[in-house]
Formats: sequence, structure tokens, C-alpha cells
Amino acid sequence: MATPLVSTPVKTHHGIFSTKMAGGRMPLTPSPRGRRDSVASNSSSPFTPPRHDSEAAKEQSRSVYGGNLSSYFAKSVSRSSRAYRESPKSNIARIRKSPKHLELGASDWSLTGTGPSSTQSPSKERLRKEVPSRTRTGKTTVRITHNAGDRFIPNRSASECLATAGAAKPEENQRPKTSSSDGSSVLASAASAFDIGGRGTDEDLTAALENLGLEDDESSTSYTKPAPDAVAYESSLANACGVNLNTRILAFKPPPPESSKPIDLRAQYNRPLKAAKSQSAQFRRRVQTAPERVLDAPGLLDDYYLNLLDWSSGNQVAIGLERNVYVWSADSGSVSCLLESSSDTYISSVKWSGDGAYVGVGLGTGEVQIWDVEEGTKLRSMYGHESRVGVMGWSKHTLSTGARSGLVFNHDVRIAQHKVAELVSHTSEVCGLEWRPDGAQLATGGNDNLVNIWDARSLNAPKFTKTNHRAAVKALSWCPWQLNLLATGGGSYDRHIHFWNTTTGARTNSIDTGSQVTSLRWSNHYREIVSSSGFPDNSLSIWSYPTLVRNVEIPAHETRVLHSCLSPDGQLLATAAADESLKFWKIFERKPGTNASASREGGVGSKAQLTKSMTIR
Amino acid sequence: MSTSKDKSKVHKLSLKGSSKLVAEFFEYSINSILFQRGVYPPEDFTTVKKYGLNMLVTADDQVKAYIKKIMSQLNKWMLGGKISKLVVVITDKETGEHVERWQFDVQIYGKHTKIVSSRKTTDKENDTPGDADSQATATVEKTEKEIQDEIQAIFRQITASVTFLPVLDEDCTFNVLVYADADSEVPVEWGDSDAKEIKNAEKVQLRSFSTNNHRVETMVSYRLAD
Repeated sequence: MATPLVSTPVKTHHGIFSTKMAGGRMPLTPSPRGRRDSVASNSSSPFTPPRHDSEAAKEQSRSVYGGNLSSYFAKSVSRSSRAYRESPKSNIARIRKSPKHLELGASDWSLTGTGPSSTQSPSKERLRKEVPSRTRTGKTTVRITHNAGDRFIPNRSASECLATAGAAKPEENQRPKTSSSDGSSVLASAASAFDIGGRGTDEDLTAALENLGLEDDESSTSYTKPAPDAVAYESSLANACGVNLNTRILAFKPPPPESSKPIDLRAQYNRPLKAAKSQSAQFRRRVQTAPERVLDAPGLLDDYYLNLLDWSSGNQVAIGLERNVYVWSADSGSVSCLLESSSDTYISSVKWSGDGAYVGVGLGTGEVQIWDVEEGTKLRSMYGHESRVGVMGWSKHTLSTGARSGLVFNHDVRIAQHKVAELVSHTSEVCGLEWRPDGAQLATGGNDNLVNIWDARSLNAPKFTKTNHRAAVKALSWCPWQLNLLATGGGSYDRHIHFWNTTTGARTNSIDTGSQVTSLRWSNHYREIVSSSGFPDNSLSIWSYPTLVRNVEIPAHETRVLHSCLSPDGQLLATAAADESLKFWKIFERKPGTNASASREGGVGSKAQLTKSMTIR
Repeated sequence: MSTSKDKSKVHKLSLKGSSKLVAEFFEYSINSILFQRGVYPPEDFTTVKKYGLNMLVTADDQVKAYIKKIMSQLNKWMLGGKISKLVVVITDKETGEHVERWQFDVQIYGKHTKIVSSRKTTDKENDTPGDADSQATATVEKTEKEIQDEIQAIFRQITASVTFLPVLDEDCTFNVLVYADADSEVPVEWGDSDAKEIKNAEKVQLRSFSTNNHRVETMVSYRLAD
């Protein structure tokens, strides 16, 4: 018991005074209020504690309580302090007194109380207290040595705590400015002396004198001082410590509501007040996110490696559905079945010639047919591939065909010995093939994750072979306004769009789209590129170039978008998806009165300039 | 104490508008701090035009109600002239450490100048001499526009303060403290507290504004980086 009692003052000291006030001498001298309070408590509290302190806490508390409120003997100290804390009036009139200090105050008070309760019921109390005290005289002595060794600290805290405890008492102690306290303090010291005298045992007397003496050392002067001086002294102390005696710090106790989610402040700092798009309103354009038209495409093969959709310069859409090729005229809205393959194979690719008069059809057998659409007749069949022809590309009279074997053949469709070149590089199925508009370069992509860029003048080996993609490359698109810019998109495990300078072979940009890239189409009108995706988004994304900002994402289909192609006027995009539907999107709508090059600030695209405005009926 | 009560009665009428203005300033300050310091996610805030600025106020019903509760009591205290400081303390949820402390000091002009009770004079004994006087004499009638401009400047500073305040990586919560006169009536929701000071704090004094009756000074203290 002695040990905690000795150490508590140190704690108290720290607790009460923040670092700012550390070393403040305020507790050395009780405040006027505190003094009066101590008097008030003294008037009813006996000077017994020193004798009890080494005793069990129960007895100690009993004695304290007996002194404090003589009529309620049964209560314990802890209960009483709790009561103080709970009482709304217990808001101590001086700041920085937490309930914890109150408790400490109570125990310390019992340790070094200054006066007995002489006035109320002295005999009764003394009787009560002397019974235990007599039995414990030896222990008391031990405690006195402690006190002597550490004499100033406990007393300092004692006077402090007395003030605290007193202030916590309701009502009469709340009014700080009554002046009666000073008189009664003198009385109280006298009373305490009396009480000590009357108490009896030598040990008690020794202890009492010890404490009394200490108390006097420190505060007797202020006891006798008149009130104004003390007030001035107090306030000067308070000011020195940065405390305003007339204020109390109040906290709004209910806890604030939890935030709905974790916050990343760094994202917030640069956030504009309004969630604006990256572009200013002036340049922002509206993109219709609903399809312009939806057609059924029953029997469309769900095969990533095929290319079954193409839109001619004559505004006709060819689509391969299983064994049939249908031609849908966007002008008239009429549909005709161009051909039906033999039952042992299927259509694996369709491609319009540049003039829109012929369509090349690749078959699962490796056969390549050329059809005159207007006549509805097959012009010729070209053999050579031994596996299905998944992709084709026209450059004037040259038709390039890529096959599952990885071989790419160039056919001159005008001559009997049609195969004019064999482009050997891919080791797996070729699924992407695109001629540059000027016919100088050919880009091919394959299931071997390679992108090959061929120079049309030397087709023995690719000019560049790019290994950056980590999945099959089907999506290829040449930029209409910058001839040597090629965009390529990778499959499910890659999900990237890479941009290449095909003159130097350098990769200039990349986008991680987050889903399989099934096709890429540059806009003729805007500095944008649209990508269609498979798993998991099944969407169309329009990207600004070269900022690579995703302007719009359209949830286009329910399943992966397999093919896409632009209308000859460049405003509409047709997409075919595994959900067996063909949808038309007005994603690059042009403002009336502007032509392609104007809206793109001077691009190439002679094809686009030739086109007339077209509508779908 | 009775003296100061008399005083507040005398000045209540002229104080009223000013108190309301200061209380309103507090409300927007709390909202701004909660937004700027990321106590609540930015989506929870909406902009309103105030003081010629786009002010962000919380749109979250719970937070709204919480601030409203604080403000209703604050208004009463302001009218009574009981408040000398309002403090918004931002606390780390995990460690319970106080990381930032926004302090708004309120001075009521009438309090210092008109009252010559011994208590008041002794209280102000150690203030900078002439401080209160000069303020009082300097109190020329301010137009509403001037006051609004001063407040606007404070909010601009609060907004700009994110540039020098440390990034609060942790989830934080906040508390509102007031320094009230000892004789204030205290509702049950309010309880005595320590000052929740920050150890080794760096302090930055921001701008102040004044009305004909009040002067409000703003200061932010924050934990220095280790």
C-alpha cells in the first residue's frame, strides 16, 4: 500500500500537467478555492489517514469516508469517487482535472489529510478510527519513514488533490468567489492541531506533526494571506501555466459517425470540385451509347480467330454465318445471301475489295473464293492453304490471306498463278492482317503472340517482329492520319493495346484495357481509336490518342464482341458478337458541315474524303 | 459571476447577430476541415455557395445530425458569450493519437472593455497591456462585405493548408472541444476534457476575422513528421 501511495503523486503530477505546463509550481500552493475546499473537507474529515495508509484499502476507504461524510459510513472511497464522476455537477471548476485525478486525490487525501472533523461528531469518529489505528501502529511507522524520505512530493500532491476533491464536492464548493474560506482555513488548521492533540497515540502524533509541518512549510503563508493577493497569485500562476481559471474545456462526448469508407486523401487533393471529364465542355462530344440498329446474326461462329464481318466502300455489309455469306445493304436495308459453302466446311473470313465490287471469302478448307457481289457469281477459287483461312486483306489487286498454319500468301487476283508471295514468319494461326492504306506495309498478328510488320517490297522476312504481346494478336489498325502508326491489341492474357512506329519499329504507347482486345478501329474524324473487347467487359471503348484517355465505354454486347468494322463514311461502327447479333453504333458522329479532314485537323484518309454521307434505313 | 451575466444581458442585442455569424463560421469550418482532411469521403460532401466561395458541407445524414447537435449548443453558448475557443481535433482511429488540432480563438470585445469588475481586470492582468483596449478602439463599424471577405480569406487558407499539412494516411476521426466559461450551463452530451494537445506540434497561425463584437483567430497545429 505504501508503494503506490508514494508513487501516485508523481503520476498525478504528470497527468495533470501537460508538457506545456511541466514544472509549473501551481500544485505547491493550493488555490484559494482549493484551500477553502480543503477546509470544507477538513471540517468533516479526520486526520486519520496516515495511520491507515499501510492498512488494507478497505479500511482506509472506510476511514476516509467516515471523515468525509460522517453520516454515510458504509460507502467506500471508490464508490464515492465514482459518484463524483457521474454527477453532472462534478465538472470540476478548474481545468485539467480528470476523474482519474479525483480518485487519486481521494486516496492521497487519506494519506496526508490536514484536519480532523472536529465540529460535527468528533467523539464518534474518533472512536471509530482509533480502534483500527491502535492495532496498526507499527505499520504506520513504516509509512512515516516513507513520507519522510519523500516528503515534499506526497504533500504537494496532497494539497493538489485536496483541492480537487473539494472542488468535486457539490454545491457549496462550486461558488468560487465566496470569501468565507480564508477565515475558516485558519480555523481548520487550528482544528487539525486540536485533533492531533486529542488523538492519543504517539505514533499518530508523530505522523500528524510530520504532515502538519510539511503542510505548513509549503502553504502556511498563503493560508494567512488575504484573498485579493491569493487571487492575484493564482491567476499569475495560471497565466504562467497557460491556464485560464475561468474556463473549462468541454468536449462533445458522443463519438462522431464512422466514415462510410476508407479515404485516400492523396486522390482528393487534386480533385476538382466538380467531377468533370478530362476534356473541357467545349471539346467534349456526346457519344451515343445506344446502338443505332440491331440485326440478328444467327449462327455466327463464336471463334476469336475468324474475321467474318466487313463493310464495303459501297456501303454493303458482308457477314459470314456458318456456311453462308450474307450481304446487307446499308442503303436499302435489304439482305441477300451471297453464297453457301459446301456442307463439309464453313466460312472463316470475308473481306471486301477496295472498290467494294468483290468480296473475298476464306473457307475452313483453306480455299479462297472471290465473288462478284453485284452479279452474285463466283469469279474464282484460289487454293494453296492447307488449313482454314482466318484472315484476309486487300491491297488493290493483291489479296493477302493468313491461315491456321501460320503462313500468309499474297495472291495477285488478276493472274492465273495467283500466289505471288509467301510470307513465312508466324508459327501459329494468323488471325490479324491489315494492309497500310498506301499499300507499302503489311501488318500481321498471330496466335504465336507476334506482330509482324512487312515491307511490301521485300516479303522474305518481316521488317519488324514484335514480341510484346502475351496473347494472340487479332486486332490491328493503321492510323489514317499518321501513316506509320500501327495499333495492335492482344488477347485474353494480354489485354494491351500497343502503338508502334512502323518506320523505326519503336513502341510509342500502350494501354492496358483490362479485357481481351478483339478489334481496333481508328476514327477517320477524331483523334480517337475504338477497341472492342471480349471477356470480361464485352464493351466498346473509345480512346483519345495520344492521351490514351478512355472517353467512353459502351457496354455493347452480352457476350464478347468478335468483329467490328467502320462504315465507309467513318461515322458508324458495326459490331458482331457471340450473342449472334449485329449492332451498329454511331460513335464517330460528325457534326454537319465538316468533312473528315477538317474535323481531324488535316488528316490523310483519301478514302474518307471520297465517301458520301450515308444513312441506314 | 453575476457581473458578467449582467454584462452579457446588456450586450445581448448587439451580440446576437455577431454570435450567429461566428457560430455559422464555425459550422462551415468544421465541414471544411472534415472535407479537406479526409475525415469523411469526398462523395459525402456537396457544394453550397457561401462567403462568395463554393463551400463543401456534408451531405451524410449522420454527420449532419452530429454537427447540428454541436451547433445548437454552440449557438446558445455564443449568444451567452461563454466561449473562448472552439477546437476541432483530428485523431488517428488506430492509435488514438491526436494528429491535428484546429483552434479558433474567440474574443468578445465587450467583455474586456466594458467590464471593470475586479475579476475581469485580474483575469486580464497578464495580457499584453493595451491589447484589449486597442482592439476596442479599433473597432470601427465594419460592413458585412468586409467581414465576409475576411471569412472568405480564412476559408481560402484552410483549403490551401492541405499543401503544408502532413498527409493523413490513417483513418481519422474528429472531436469538437470548446473552452467555455466555468459557469456555463453544460448539457449532458458535453463533458470535461483535456485539451487534446498534440505533442511536438508545429503551429501555424492562419488569418483572423472580426465583427463589431467578436474577433476570431484561427490556428492549426499538427504533428511534425518523425
